Amino acid sequence: MRTTSFIWDVCKSSFTFGLIGLTISDRFASVVHVRGLSMSPTFNPPNNSSLGLLTVNGPSTDDHVMVEKRCLTDYKFSHGDVIVFSSPRNYKEKQIKRITGLAGDWISVPFSYDAVRIPEGHCWVEGDNPTDSLDSRSFGPIPLGLIRGRVTHILWPPQRVQKIDRKLPRSGLTF
Amino acid sequence: MLPTFNLTNELVLLERISTRNGKAGSGDVVILQSPENPRKLVTKRIIGMEGDKITYIVDPKNSDRTETVIVPKGHVWVQGDNIYNSYDSRNFGPVPYGLLKGKIWPSSAFGSIGKRPETVDPALKVLEQTNQS
Repeated sequence: MRTTSFIWDVCKSSFTFGLIGLTISDRFASVVHVRGLSMSPTFNPPNNSSLGLLTVNGPSTDDHVMVEKRCLTDYKFSHGDVIVFSSPRNYKEKQIKRITGLAGDWISVPFSYDAVRIPEGHCWVEGDNPTDSLDSRSFGPIPLGLIRGRVTHILWPPQRVQKIDRKLPRSGLTF
Repeated sequence: MLPTFNLTNELVLLERISTRNGKAGSGDVVILQSPENPRKLVTKRIIGMEGDKITYIVDPKNSDRTETVIVPKGHVWVQGDNIYNSYDSRNFGPVPYGLLKGKIWPSSAFGSIGKRPETVDPALKVLEQTNQS
């Protein structure tokens, strides 16, 4: 009798905490594992102790960041926010990039004299590492509805714990 | 979305699992975030999935001009059932699948493209036949 009631208690509390945890991660904040080098050096900076030009970024050095979801009630974003969004080419993939343009801004198309106006309800995202980033320069402006959260802090590895600031693009012919 | 839904407010069941699993397809009535305002939800019917070739009448009230597009990867083409008074993909283009939020259920009550109420306008009938083939 004691073991069954103990098991029942364990089940009840794990269900409760699971539900609370799911609500928190869905509505408030969650932790996301950052893969890839498109946001170097902000996330996953190249490992200096590697062999010369060869940078090795194994699973032990990937950043884990905190993503807050409260911004999804108003969809009020600013230039320089780092966001998590579903890729417009494949809704199952999530990508992390920085917003470099909002609705109404004009973005100049690289290698041409054209300028593109970002439509209402869309934003332009770019990775901090332009050489290794698949972003709005390939798939165009993305609707704000695809955004799944905003990155606020790096939580792991411990020596890189810091707040992510809004950084305006270094170069960039946005005007 | 006349005549599928009435002008008076209707209460329907919204099923959110199909869109998460990628099971929403052509002919389904879905709710999606408007690409022009993420805080607005609109109800439309999926006409085509990625890779489909869609021929649509640009402005049915004023002319018969049609245009043909191929839906890009990861996107869907949505249109309201009442094309004379609907602001949909003919205006804002194909929408990424990630904007779909749920499917109206049960789908048999609303039918697939083939089982929709009889269209009377001959131009629309031709369009349906070209889109189905």
